[in-house]
Amino acid sequence: MIDRFTKTALVLMVVITAIFLIGAYLGYIGGHGMEGTDAMVEEHAASTAANVEATSLVPAITDLVGEPLGFTIAGIVAGLIVGYIWTGLFRRQEDA
Amino acid sequence: MHISDGILAPEWCLVWFAIAIPFIAVGVWQIKRGTKESASYLPMLAMMGAAIFVIAVWHIPVPVTGSCSHPIGTPMSAIIVGPFPTVVLSAIALFFHVFFGHGGLTTLGANIVSMGIVGTFSGYLVYLLLMKVKSPLWFAAGMAGFVGAILTYIITALELALSLNPDSVLSHWVLYSMGFMPTQLPLAIAEFIFTAGIVQYIADRRPDLLAKKLWGGFSSD
Repeated sequence: MIDRFTKTALVLMVVITAIFLIGAYLGYIGGHGMEGTDAMVEEHAASTAANVEATSLVPAITDLVGEPLGFTIAGIVAGLIVGYIWTGLFRRQEDA
Repeated sequence: MHISDGILAPEWCLVWFAIAIPFIAVGVWQIKRGTKESASYLPMLAMMGAAIFVIAVWHIPVPVTGSCSHPIGTPMSAIIVGPFPTVVLSAIALFFHVFFGHGGLTTLGANIVSMGIVGTFSGYLVYLLLMKVKSPLWFAAGMAGFVGAILTYIITALELALSLNPDSVLSHWVLYSMGFMPTQLPLAIAEFIFTAGIVQYIADRRPDLLAKKLWGGFSSD
């Protein structure tokens, strides 16, 4: 038996995923690279000054395992924390 | 708004850290006080911290512009746990973002100022002003999210212009701001929607959990 909280969480997950997929697909068929705005503006800004280049002082997890896996793991961990506390604070008595 | 290492001049990195540190210190003090006042405060902080971490690194595709970017989440957190504790949460989130290839260690102060301080306090101020004129809670919260998201990027543009273009700060500030806006405006609307929805939900279900003191941290009064 799926309670109301779980149903709401699942619906939200499907809606958010659909928004992401539709947005990415529309960008893809429009021939766009879908680059991050932060990096685009930063690169442009760096090009206006001499000897300025983005670097990284620490190895990124996403460089080792790739962005899809890295962000999936991060999302799962953060989602578990949010979901666990959210249910504790807001779950209705009848859903418990 | 994640500025990478190597982009800002060292002196500007120090300036942004110097601005950020007092806010973090007050935030830590308020967190200590809040955890003593209420047993619910620490879980709320943990939840908001995890939420900011994900929201502020979650690249949402904007097909109209052919690019992607992320909301910030700090205005929502400011309304729920208070603005100063939100600065601490954003500092922690931004530190971990570095290990996901977003932002940098030397630019952490600049990123805390834009997202953690300006995004937080501008949104919280808008929220307070709208509540003062008897605006519906959802609208005040939503506008906090919208304004906080936009101003975060305007300040990021200023940080870039001040460091990289000291001879023409104003024109480059406008230029970089205009570079962010086409993608950030739709995302600011998204920030409006989820901030309004979540704050209204919490107010309906657990109004005692919303921060109430002006500029302060948690109070269950």
